[in-house]
Amino acid sequence: MEQNHATTPQLQFIGKVLSAFSHEINNHLAITKESVGLIGDFIECGKTSRKDLREILGIIDSIQNQIKKTSFFFDRLNGFSHGMEAPLSSFSVHGCLEDLIVLLQRLAYQKQVRLEKDFAANMPLIENSPFRLQFLIYCLIDMHIKRIDKNSSITIKTSWSNNSVQISVIPKGNEIKTEEEGICNDELYHSIAQQLGGSIVRDTTNAATTFLLPGSEPSVRCGSR
Amino acid sequence: MKKKKDIKVLLVDDEKAFVDTLAQRLSMRELIVDKVYDGEQALSYIQKMDPDVIVLDLKMPGLHGIEVLREIKKIKHEIQVIILTGHGTDKDEEEAKKLGGFDFLRKPADIDLLISKIKEAFMEKFERAMTAAAFAEEGYFEQAQKIMKKEE
Repeated sequence: MEQNHATTPQLQFIGKVLSAFSHEINNHLAITKESVGLIGDFIECGKTSRKDLREILGIIDSIQNQIKKTSFFFDRLNGFSHGMEAPLSSFSVHGCLEDLIVLLQRLAYQKQVRLEKDFAANMPLIENSPFRLQFLIYCLIDMHIKRIDKNSSITIKTSWSNNSVQISVIPKGNEIKTEEEGICNDELYHSIAQQLGGSIVRDTTNAATTFLLPGSEPSVRCGSR
Repeated sequence: MKKKKDIKVLLVDDEKAFVDTLAQRLSMRELIVDKVYDGEQALSYIQKMDPDVIVLDLKMPGLHGIEVLREIKKIKHEIQVIILTGHGTDKDEEEAKKLGGFDFLRKPADIDLLISKIKEAFMEKFERAMTAAAFAEEGYFEQAQKIMKKEE
C-alpha cells in the first residue's frame, strides 16, 4: 500500500495522543461507573447507618473528582484540537506545551517516566503553528522516553531571551540501549524546526535537545496560561 | 457445584480507585476478592496463592498485561484470565485469546456481565479439573495433564 511519508509521523502522533486520551477517559468512566454502582449496592442492601452514609458521601466526592478530572482532560484535548485548525495562529507557548504534557502523561507513566515542566515567567504569545510545535516537542519527548530507564524524568524547560523562545527537553536518568524506533528521525526534527522558523541544538553534556525560535516579537506577555 | 463464595478472584489494575471499588462490589456479591496494582505483583501473588480467576488490565506501568497473561499461563495454566481494559486493540484481543485468555472485556464494563464471565470461567476450570481427575483415577495421567493444560 502506498504511504504518504510526509504525513505518516504526524498521523501517528495524533493517534498516540488520541489513544492516550481515550484510555484516560475510559478509566475515569470506569471508576465513575463502579462508584455509582457501589452507591446503588449500598441502597439495595439497606446499608444506611451513619457510617454507611459517611462512606456514600465519600463515594460521591470521588465521583465529583472523576468528573473534574475528565473535564480537565477534555479541556486539554480541546486546546490540542484548536491548534490543528489553522496553519498559523497567535498562541501561548506554555498553554500549548501544557496541553501536550497532560495528554502525554499516561504514555510516560506507562514507561515509568515522569514528565516535568520548568516554565519561565513572562513568555510572550507567539505567531506560529501550535500543532507543528507540539509535534516537534512530542518527537523529542518520544525519542528521550525510548532512551531512558524507568524511574527517570524528562523536563520540558522554557526560556525567553533576546526575542528568542527556547524550549529544552532534558532527560534525567540512566540511558538504555533500545531497538525501538522513535516516531521520527533527525532529518524530520530538523525539517519541522525549519518549518517553524527555528532550529534544533543538541547539548552533549546533559543530553538535552533544545528548540530555538528566534524573532518572536512579544505581542502579549503571559505566564503559564 | 461450588457456591459463588468459593470463587477466588484476583483483580490486577494500576487504577487504584477502580480496583478498590470493583473489589468492594464483587465482595458484596459473595466472591472472594484480592487485588494487586501491577503485573509483577500479580506474578508474585500466584506463586503463593491459587486464585480461580484473574481479572487483568492490559496497559500498566512495567509489565504489559499480555506479558503477564503469558507468564501466568506458564506458571499456573489452570488459572482463568479475563482481560478488562480501557485501551485494548483488536490485536490485543486476538493475542489474549491465543495465549489462553478466557475473555476480553472493555472498560467501563457492566458488573453483571463481569460476574457472569467470572462464573463461566470458574465453571470451565472446575469441569476441566473434574474430567482430569476422572482420567487420573483410571490411570490415564498423560491424558489428565493434557486436559488441565487445555491441549485436548
